[in-house]
Formats: sequence, C-alpha cells, structure tokens
Amino acid sequence: MALIETASLTKNYGTVKALDRLDLQVEPGIIGLVGANGAGKSTLIKILLGLVPPSSGRASVLGLDVADETREIRKVVGYMPENDCLPPDVGATEFVTHMARISGLPRTAARERTAEVLRHVGLYEERYRQIGGYSTGMKQRVKLAQALAHDPKLLLLDEPTNGLDPTGRDEMLDLIKRTGTDFGISVVVASHLLGEIEQVCTFLLAVDAGHLLKAAPISTFTQRTPVLAVEVEEGADRLTAALTGRGFKARQEDQCVLLVLESETLYDAVRDTVADLALPLVRVQQERRRLEDIFREPEQGLEPAAGGAQ
Amino acid sequence: MTAQTIPAADQAVAPPVIELANAARWYGNVVAVNDVSFSLGAGVTGLLGPNGAGKTTLLHMLAGFLAPSAGTVHVLGRSPHRDPSVYRQIGLVPERESAYAFLTGYEYVRFNARLQGMRNADSAARAAIERVGLEDAADRAIGTYSKGMRQRAKVAGALVHDPQVLLLDEPFNGMDPRQRLSMMDLLGEMAAAGRTILFSSHILEEVERIGTEILVLVSGRLAASGDFRAIRALMTDRPHSITIRSSDDRRLATTLMADPAVFAVELKENALSVQTAHLSAFRRIIAVAGRTAGVRLMEVVPADESLESVFDYLVRR
Repeated sequence: MALIETASLTKNYGTVKALDRLDLQVEPGIIGLVGANGAGKSTLIKILLGLVPPSSGRASVLGLDVADETREIRKVVGYMPENDCLPPDVGATEFVTHMARISGLPRTAARERTAEVLRHVGLYEERYRQIGGYSTGMKQRVKLAQALAHDPKLLLLDEPTNGLDPTGRDEMLDLIKRTGTDFGISVVVASHLLGEIEQVCTFLLAVDAGHLLKAAPISTFTQRTPVLAVEVEEGADRLTAALTGRGFKARQEDQCVLLVLESETLYDAVRDTVADLALPLVRVQQERRRLEDIFREPEQGLEPAAGGAQ
Repeated sequence: MTAQTIPAADQAVAPPVIELANAARWYGNVVAVNDVSFSLGAGVTGLLGPNGAGKTTLLHMLAGFLAPSAGTVHVLGRSPHRDPSVYRQIGLVPERESAYAFLTGYEYVRFNARLQGMRNADSAARAAIERVGLEDAADRAIGTYSKGMRQRAKVAGALVHDPQVLLLDEPFNGMDPRQRLSMMDLLGEMAAAGRTILFSSHILEEVERIGTEILVLVSGRLAASGDFRAIRALMTDRPHSITIRSSDDRRLATTLMADPAVFAVELKENALSVQTAHLSAFRRIIAVAGRTAGVRLMEVVPADESLESVFDYLVRR
C-alpha cells in the first residue's frame, strides 16, 4: 500500500494556489520534503493530517482518504509541528500522557507508552519538571515524543531541528533515523537543510509553486560524477602538467586537480605521479552531485556538476 | 580550557575593526560572556557555540546595546555603548522577530534609514530591498511575510546605511535552500568589498562554505578563534583520521602499519581507517605506500578535518 497518494490535489487560498493539481505516489520510508518558502509544503502536511480540506482532487494516507476518514488517519499518524506549541506549566510525562489519551489510549496504556517514548527520545529525570524550563533541544524531544505516543505508522515532522545547536541537531537526526529504521515507522521530514535530508532520508519529495518538482530516491541526487578530485598540499600545477603529459584530461582548481574518470588506470596514474613528484596527498575522491543542485538555476538542473572538467 | 588563537597575517597592518579585551558580561549571578579577547579585521567570521554559550550577548555588546561588565569592547576604535556615531557604522540583524508587523517591508527599511539620519532614505531603502531580492513583496505588510521574507527584510534594514560592520544573529533561520544560497553570496560579496561581518549559526556545513574564520564560544568563554584548519592543526592531542578505499585494503594496511607516521589502522567494511599523529608525514608517504604494496588507491579522504569535527573536538572535550 502506498504511504501517501494524491491525485490532482489542489488547494486555493482565495486567489493563491498553494497546491496545483499535485500527483504523488510515495512508498514507505524516511522521506525528505523540501521546497521554497510558500511552495506548499505546510499546506500538503495539513491536508494529509486532515486539518484542511482540499479545494479539489484527492489525497490518501496509508490507504485512508483525507476527506472522510480523518479520525482513522489521526490514529495512524503522528505530527510534530514546527512552532513552539507546548504548555509551559506541566511536566513532559503529564503532557505526553494527556496527548496519548486524546489519541484514544486507555489510562494505563497511555502511561506505559509515555514512559517508553520519553526514554526513546532521551528524556529521563527531567521529564517531571515543567516544560517551561526546558532547553530548545528538550522541547523538540517532547514534541517528537507526543507524536510517537500512540504508536503511529507515519510521522510528519515539520522542521524538527529548528533552533537546535550542532550537538542537538546530530542527536535529533539520529533519533529520526532510529525511529524510521528500528521501529519501522515511516517518517516525512520537512526541512530547508538539504545536508540533513541527505543524512537521514531515503527518498526526496521536492515541491515548487504547488507542483511536484522531483520525487526520487535520495541516492539518485547524490550519485557519483565521473570527476575525480585529487587534492595536494602543494604542487597542483606540477601534478596537472604531469597528468596532462600522460594523456589525461586534467584541470587545476586551487590545490585541487580535477580529472575525468574514464578508466580505472587513472587511479594508478594518479598514485604513481604523486609518488614520483613526492607531493603531499590530501585527498582522492570521486565527486558527487549535491541535493542543492536541484535548487540552482534551472538550466543547470540535474546536469552533471562536472562543468568545465571536460 | 585555553583559547587557541591564530592571528591572520594581514591583520597586523590594519588596525582591527572589532576588538575585545578581557570583555565580560554578567546578568546577576549568570555569567554570559567571560573574559573574552579577540580582534577582527575585514572579512567574514562565523560565530559558533552551543545554545546558551553567549553568542547573542556578544553580538549585543558589539552593537552597543549592552556595556561590558568588565573589560573593553571596541568597534572601529570606540566603545559602541551609547555612542550613535558608532551605530552609523554598524548593522545588526537580531535573532528575534523584531520587525513591526504593520509596516510594509519598504517602510521598515526606510524607517531604519531615517533612524540612521540618512538624507536619501527613499533611494537607500529601495536599493537595500533590491539587494536582498525583496522587490516583489516590498509594499506588503511584514505581518503577511513568510519567515524567510521577514529575515530578508531585517537584513535590508541592517545594511540600508551601508555599514562598515555587519552583525547577524542566525541570519539563515527560516530561509529556504535558494534563499540560503543567495544570502551566502551576499555575505561573500560584502566581505569582498572590505566589510567586517560576524554572523552566528548552528549550521556548520554552511559556515564552512562561507569562510574559514571562526570564533567559538563555549559557556561564555572563547574556546578558539581563527582559521579552523589551523585550529585543527594545533590539536596535537587529536590524531588525524583518514579513510581509504583501495583495491586491497588488507595488503595496504600491512604496508602502512610498517610506517612510523601511522599508529593505527582499522579494517572496516570496504574501507580502511588510518590514524596518524603526523598528518604531513602521512600525506607524503601514502602514494608511495600504495605503489610499494601494488594497491590501487580509489579514495583517500580526511575524516576529521571538517569544521564539524573541529567544533566537535572544541565543544565536547
């Protein structure tokens, strides 16, 4: 069964078209949702949650139609909103138990689940303290915990690393990854940070102006290019000249030599030339495409980033 | 913790634009910034640190909002606190949503221009709006803006008077990928034009792409300042880690282990992880070692030289 399916999904706010005949078919996994501000990401999330009705078209989540199976959807979907939405004057335990009960869990089950999810997100002694005194990182964990409380099959996370410092970000990303892989819960992560998406997601959904821009596995956006970068501490000019002399196409960029990888013999030529010239070798690496290339100028699009290396 | 400071070579000539000497700021018993000294010239510097490390307090002292509790803070040779003549040379993009929702973007930027006593406030506001690419929304109320647009309106307001010093507190917050790329370009252009730019950020990949100069605050103290690659080189207690993919990892490992520059080799799935305390020595022998062993080197990648690793080592020790 498809995780998310939409057919000509359209949403108008007055004269503004937030979503314009969007067709999607997404399989379970950890899905990154990216798009410019105003591209329709939040609208899509709200429709999938059944919070906003579509103007026309259809959408379904785990086979449940958003138009008339809203209550069923809420049972199987957890949502972590982007904004600060936690009550300051209760503890995390109390709050998450409350949210679990709202989702229909009996009192005892709600308590047990709360203890479990709070441990999963890494909140221990502090869970009885009032949320108002929590750090940003702890608040984000509470938001994730309440989304997981009723054991959903799909999590929708809206900018889950917002406001977190580098350590907090790493921990949250790790948590998202573990939630997806260890618990087998599908996750949709909306984020502006493409590095993050590359790190945790398996599939990318890019929306632009209410349309689908790209939908494909992450690996297709980060494929290796046929460009081998060789970085040396010094003497890149000599290395470029020597490799050109041996008949390879080489181009120098600062202390980096870019080569076109046509045959495996290039590796040996690089190794031997660097050894002959006694150069300090910093890096040998095949270049990869980057996710952000899809947001570069359209004419560059997904063309190989190799550029002038030819 | 000792501060590791690398003076940039060209700063010795020009007087520093920003200079702190033993500056501290406390709020009651809370010490936000503690005994911090550094100087910055033209160019762009990333201000890093965990939440609560004192980044915002430091920026506010530089902007003249706060006087240091001890020590001195100088911008262009003067103390900025309550000195409007210094304000003329400073642009600040605060972290908080501080733009008035009922003003249009243009009105807000023009208001800032007039605050700075500019005669040509209208044209300056138009130019600043164009600079950040907000022309289409300039005449709408800021209340209707998305986060990324508000952020750009704040940036336009901060640079409308073409200040010598630009201070930005988390300027990328809320911006989408395209807006982030153009903001990076904008900071780069201003730095190239000789401005002094200090910006705080948590997104280390982005900081690394904008520049190599950093200031790292940890619990109010300066943990490091300068070029992060030079800071990494000074961490002699941290061995360097290099990941290698080759045609025969085991054979290469044997050859490498015989070299005094290498002190540990670990066989991983489809890769070798090599530890060395002498990075430059290792860099001179790796190609030779590959040839001696008759092993093809497909990938040689430094594994802990990125800003991310340097930050990690500074903060989590």
